[in-house]
Amino acid sequence: MALRPYWKGYLKLSLVTCPVSMMPATSEAEKVRFHTLNRETGNRVVSQYIDSVTGKPVKDDNEAKGYARGENDYVILTDDDLDAVALDTVKTIDIDKFAPADSIEWVYLEKPHYLMPDDPVGHEAFAVIRDAMKADKVVGISKLVIGRRERAVVLEPRDDGIVLWSLRFGDEVRPEENYFEDIEAEADKDLIPFVQKLIKQKTARWSPNMVSDPIQDALLALIEQKKKQLKPKKAAKGKKADAAPASNVVNIMDALRKSVEADLKKKKVS
Amino acid sequence: MAGQRAQWKGFIKFGEVSCGVALYTAASTSERITFNTINTATGNRVNRVFIDSDTEEPVPKEAQTKGFEIENGQYIIIDPDEVAATMPESNKTLEVEAFIPCSDVDDVYFDKPYYLTPDKMGTDAFAALRDGMRKSKVAAIARTVLFRRMRTVLIRPHGKGLIATTLNYNYEVRSSKKAFEEMPKIKIQGEMLDLAKHIISTKKGDFDPAAFDDRYEAALAELVKAKIEGKALPSRKKVEVSQPNDLLAALRESAGLGKTKDDKPKRTAANANTGAGRQRAARGAASKTASSKAAPQRKAG
Repeated sequence: MALRPYWKGYLKLSLVTCPVSMMPATSEAEKVRFHTLNRETGNRVVSQYIDSVTGKPVKDDNEAKGYARGENDYVILTDDDLDAVALDTVKTIDIDKFAPADSIEWVYLEKPHYLMPDDPVGHEAFAVIRDAMKADKVVGISKLVIGRRERAVVLEPRDDGIVLWSLRFGDEVRPEENYFEDIEAEADKDLIPFVQKLIKQKTARWSPNMVSDPIQDALLALIEQKKKQLKPKKAAKGKKADAAPASNVVNIMDALRKSVEADLKKKKVS
Repeated sequence: MAGQRAQWKGFIKFGEVSCGVALYTAASTSERITFNTINTATGNRVNRVFIDSDTEEPVPKEAQTKGFEIENGQYIIIDPDEVAATMPESNKTLEVEAFIPCSDVDDVYFDKPYYLTPDKMGTDAFAALRDGMRKSKVAAIARTVLFRRMRTVLIRPHGKGLIATTLNYNYEVRSSKKAFEEMPKIKIQGEMLDLAKHIISTKKGDFDPAAFDDRYEAALAELVKAKIEGKALPSRKKVEVSQPNDLLAALRESAGLGKTKDDKPKRTAANANTGAGRQRAARGAASKTASSKAAPQRKAG
């Protein structure tokens, strides 16, 4: 799957600079997603922009970002304007500090991204920065504008690339003292060996199977079941003339697939 | 804890022990700068309406339902009740399914952190679990129905409490191996690695994320001001990318071992000479190099 990079810019350590691209490490693409439908017609419900004064629909080309200067007074900003904001951290990740690996509290980790070289010219420079962090067991600290905020970011070498974490701001993390102050500081010493014995019994290696989603599976089964109920109905109801060829194609495909499957089954039997 | 509302209340169960616990949001998202969408033809703000994709008539909220796209823009209507029926009944228990070594934790799965605290009755069991996990250097994996989904959380000791981090589902996380698979396998060794390590050593320190400030809003205000005043917006300086041939020199210079910038042309000349010199030496004409080097001196004198 070819993924479009989400951000392109530069990675810089002192006088060494290389072009890099970045993409989020997580994606909602595989999630079962529902659309909003009109119950009466069965059609999709889509959003449309209308002019707040004239009430008329607004063409896509005429939509722009407006910075509120006063009441009903906006300064229009284009994407190029926004790119010109006077912060080098829009385009460049300049590593200005290194901290011991694992020294960043997990509670600050906001969103992971994968960072990789964007041009062969930077392959070696990227590898130098990555391997030196690996050898020294450190993570790089820098800042980067992501989603109209300038965030602290942490760079951690992983495999042949770098994982870049955006960090939460201090005022986004609630002070733990408010929650933990009433808890006993030390456990009953006699209890700990029992807990450790239990831990030993139940210790396992991490596996992505630990984060499976049974509800997604159930939803997919529900959709499959509905699809089966729908099929005969679709043929009986008929469709609009312009949609007919497309649905025919699908039906032929289905028919072909079915005959291939039937053929395979026969072969297996014989 | 006055004023804080628990996001979830239930039990944590490990082995045959169970104790009452609550989850509290540990991190919230603060607002970023938002823009209004403007109709450039009139300069007015726009409003959003929801319309039928075919009839283009507005669809009132009560006529909106959920559907799943199967093919060719065909949809199956799915009733929210049917979706709710797929939800397993919540037993309100975070049951520890496994303990995993801290070194084994793949943080790329992390979603949102919650403070996990005991109720008054459960504090002994809670403290024993916390200290046992800390001593054994493990985190716990537990599952329960949270916020209408079956969620897996990773639980680990944090100060006097525990933090439960919800984990993203397996299909939501791209594997780092896959993301990086097309990169060339380069391993840096020798002088380059030593120089880079030296640069790192000059930049080592502690970092406190809480003390970090966002400069974006101020920079944007400046930009808007310039635009209102009709000033040309500064274009970004072109970034100079290190060329592979210059990488070692750039590392030396960064490490403070190379020559200063003023020496740069000289060094390039010297490099060129070394290269040429080697070639000439092979032809047994090293003396020529020496004499040509001495030439300017004579002239100066």
